[in-house]
Formats: sequence, structure tokens, C-alpha cells
Amino acid sequence: MRSDESPAVLLSSVTRNFGPVRAVDRITLTIPRGQTVALLGPNGAGKSTTIGLLLGLLAPDSGRAALFGRDPVQAVRQGLVGAMPQEGGLIGRVTVRELLSFVAGTYPAPLPLDRVLRLAQITQLRDRRVDRLSGGQAQRVRFATAVVGDPDLVVLDEPTAALDVTARREFWDGMRDLAGQGKTILFSTHYLDEADERSDRVIVVGRGRVIADGTSDEIKRVVALTTVSVTVTGETAWLSALPGVRHLDIRGDRAHLRSADPDATVMALAQAGAVRNLEVTPADLEDAFVALTTEDAPIAEETM
Amino acid sequence: MLGYIRFELIRTARDGGYVVFGLIMPVVMYLVFTDLGLAPGDEHDAAIYTMVSMAAYGGLGAAFNNGSGIAEDRAAGWLRRLRLTPLTPAQVIAGKVVTGAVGVVPGIAAVLLTGALVNHVTLTPGRWLAIVVLLWAGTIPFSLLGLGNGYRLTGQSAAMANLMTMLVLSIVGGLWVPVSGFPSWLRALAEWTPSNGYASLSWHVAFGAAPGAREIAMLTVWLVVFGLYAMYGYRRAGRTG
Ligand SMILES: Nc1ncnc2c1ncn2[C@@H]1O[C@H](COP(=O)(O)OP(=O)(O)OP(=O)(O)O)[C@@H](O)[C@H]1O
Ligand SMILES: [Mg+2]
Repeated sequence: MRSDESPAVLLSSVTRNFGPVRAVDRITLTIPRGQTVALLGPNGAGKSTTIGLLLGLLAPDSGRAALFGRDPVQAVRQGLVGAMPQEGGLIGRVTVRELLSFVAGTYPAPLPLDRVLRLAQITQLRDRRVDRLSGGQAQRVRFATAVVGDPDLVVLDEPTAALDVTARREFWDGMRDLAGQGKTILFSTHYLDEADERSDRVIVVGRGRVIADGTSDEIKRVVALTTVSVTVTGETAWLSALPGVRHLDIRGDRAHLRSADPDATVMALAQAGAVRNLEVTPADLEDAFVALTTEDAPIAEETM
Repeated sequence: MLGYIRFELIRTARDGGYVVFGLIMPVVMYLVFTDLGLAPGDEHDAAIYTMVSMAAYGGLGAAFNNGSGIAEDRAAGWLRRLRLTPLTPAQVIAGKVVTGAVGVVPGIAAVLLTGALVNHVTLTPGRWLAIVVLLWAGTIPFSLLGLGNGYRLTGQSAAMANLMTMLVLSIVGGLWVPVSGFPSWLRALAEWTPSNGYASLSWHVAFGAAPGAREIAMLTVWLVVFGLYAMYGYRRAGRTG
């Protein structure tokens, strides 16, 4: 493969431990150029560690990371990467403009300052001291430092964490602008709806592993199982063999069937004459997501 | 890298600690001390002696302050952020060292100018040049000690450690009150301090003597010790992020 065709991000079976904690456990993923990818997972899932590994800030215990077919550190040196760590990275006693000009100056072909100020919605903050900004304003400045160098790959660790509703919307407008220019974007988030609306692809991580990887519709199909409940007596094991059923949960005389295809499940129940006090509860995405990332459910195969 | 140096110099100039300890205090104390007549010899000799003391004191203030800046940078996640720009770590360290070396100049220059313009110090051009070079280059061991503290300790404690070290070295080294006024046990101690060695080089030159071999040897040893300490601190900081 020629290096200009190599993917923007390549992780092959990277593992990283912190003492007894396995923060990242054999993660393998490829992000082609131009894709916008959400890294979705709860606290402690390993998102920041994965990002640190792919940026070359952390060394993997095993496995390999590459950006644009080269060592991550080298890719950063060549100005191909702009990144916003989860926290920190702003320094006192300079104005927003001075900070951005300095960062821009380290890149071979940075964006004009005015454009970046507009993109990050901080034009009116440009002469303010960086250490005297509100949390959300600081967050936008941090975002601006990640994109001012006009890098091909933009990596953002929880970019919307401190933003209010308006700022969030403005932020995603800016991101759409960047994605439209063919940039590869990787961002992490805790929110399924954010991942759903703002990315081409969602990678769900939990306990250091990739749990699911696909378009948001594919993810939803997996995580968002409709619950079909009926009252049952006697033998129940056959229920888990019904079409669409992924999960069977018996509580007292109620059977709760988590189904990927509720129509088929209900039809089969009817044919078996087992429809008693039937109840169909639509999927709660957030609940399903929590269940997915905290359970030991090996779902990854189903989505690949 | 020039951009980084410029950026760091802007930040230094706006740093209150730097302006107070590296610039204002040495000049004010110089004026006060020459008025009090604490130094030996006649008025002109005293003006020369104290000028060197206070220039050295300003050099120390600026050098240590630069080291405290490193701890501040680390605490703010700034060093980590710089690793995500195309700058190399070597460029960052070199930039910081150059910033430190430039940062000591204003304080030294201000005291020397005050000496020449206010206290009417007259020296031959050769001696002026020699003390400028010695006062400037002699700050290197202190910069290294300050950087070592900055890398090894966290924000607040590094600033505190550097301020205390700076004051102790200044006072015990005889920069505030000449060692000739010390009790003999303290004078014996003072003569082994790097700050006393640093200022002695320029005292000697200012009064027409050659820099003493003993001071040069001692300062070289301190340079090596502090250099190793800075390296140790840097390695440690690299391991802990
Ligand atoms: N420097 C570190 N030292 C020790 N343990 C660490 C370190 N960094 C991360 N961990 C551990 O590794 C695991 C993954 O952490 P990571 O920061 O990657 O999670 P995350 O998905 O980014 O979480 P969050 O959403 O809270 O930011 C956690 O159990 C965390 O405690
Ligand atoms: Mg994180």
C-alpha cells in the first residue's frame, strides 16, 4: 500500500495497562480518510487512553498504532494531526490570539486566524486572556488550537463537555464545515444521540474493548432491543429460540424477551398460543447503551 | 522555534514574579543599599560592589523564576499539549533555555545601568564587558537548579522551593549583606555557595583582579551537580507525564 493511500488511523491489537488496570485491551480499528468517527463509551471505558495511544502520547504495551501509515509521533511532527486532549492544554498570561498564532506558527500551512476564530465562534474573545475565560469559552479555544494548523486528522476528546446547547450546535456546525473539507475526524463522547447525529460511524468501547462498530443505525439495531413481555407458566426455555430474541429474562411469571425483531417475535408467540397479557416496550436507547457497555455481552461479532 | 521563544518571552514579561524578583527588587535594593552604605570601601567602591551583588541577585531571581514556569506548564497540561504540535521536545527544551537566558538580561542590565547613571559607577569598557558576560553566563547553574525543581515538583511547591532557594542563596551567598560582615562560621559556609562564587567572579573583575581559580572550579562543580539534577528531574517528569 502506498503511504498516501494508507488509512488516517490504524490501531492493530493495541493494549495498554496502568498497573493492574487494563485500560485498552487489544483494540483493533481502521479509520479511512475523510470519515467522521465517534468513540462512544462510559467513564473509564478507555476512550482517552485509546486516543493517547493513537496520538503517540502513550506507548502501547503491545500492538501498534499508525497515522497515515507512519509512526504517530512522526505524523504529529509533520503537522498532519491536530488534537484536543480531554483536559488542560491552555496556558496563562497570553491572549487567545497570541496563543492561536503561536500554535499556527508550528504548522507548515495553518489556516488564517480569522477563519479559525469564526469556526470556533471566538472572534469576540480574541483579545481576552486565555486564563480568564469561562469553562465553555476555554473549551472553544481549545478546539481552535486543534484545528488552527489545518491538519488532515482532527482528534477531539470530549469536545462538547463544557458547552451549553447553543455552543454545542455552533460547534457541530463548525465540525460539519471541517468534515466537508475532507478532514478525518475522531471524537469521543458519552452521549449516544451525539454519536448518532454527528458521525458516519460509531465505535462503542467498554472496559477497554471495542463492543460494537458500525453506522449509528447498525449500532442502534444491536443496542436498541425492543422488550416483549408475556405471562408464562411452565417451561420457558423455548422462548429464547423464538425469532429475533436476543435475551430472555424471567421475573416471577413474566417473561421479558429482548428482541431485535419484535414483529416476528410477537407473531411466533401468537402461533404458539402464548400471548397472555402481551406488552411491547420500545427500546430505550440510553438504557440499552448502558446495558451494552456494562454487561459482558460479546456483541462485536454481530455488527461486523 | 523562534515563535515559541517569542511566545514564552511575552509570557515572562507579564509574569509578576519575574518583574518583581528579576527586575524591580534588585534595582530598588541597589538604590537603598548604596544609600545605607553597607558595603566596604569608599562610596564609589561600595557602589561598584553592591551593583555586582544586586545584578547577581536579579540574575538569580529571573533564572529561578524560569524554572518555576516549567512546573506551571506541566500542571496546566501545556507540555503535553506541546507534544501534539509539530514542535519536537528538544525544540521545546531549547526554547525554554533560551527564554531563561534572555530573561536574566533585563534585571542585570537595569542594575548595571542604575550603577552607571545613578550611582556614577565608572569602569573601563573592558571591565564592563567582562562583568556583563560573567553575570550573564554565571546564571546557567541557577537556571538548571530552577528547571530541576520545576520538573521534579508540582506547580505551587516548585515556585515555593525556587523562591526559598533563591533567597537563601542570595543572603547566605553575601549578595544582600557582604560576607565581610558575617560571623566567621557563616562566612566559611558562604564561600562554598554557588551564589557567592558567581558574584565573586564579577567582584574581582570589577576591582581589577582576575576571576579566582577557586571560584571558577567551584562554580563548575555546581554546574555539573545542578545539570545532573535537572536531567534527573526531566526524566522523572517524562515518566509521570
Ligand atoms: N494515568 C493513568 N494511571 C492509572 N490508571 C489510568 C490512567 N489513565 C487511565 N487509567 C485507567 O484506565 C481506564 C481507562 O481510562 P480512560 O481515561 O481511557 O477512560 P475514558 O473512557 O476516557 O473515561 P472518561 O469518559 O471518564 O474520560 C480507567 O480505569 C482509568 O482509571
Ligand atoms: Mg476520557
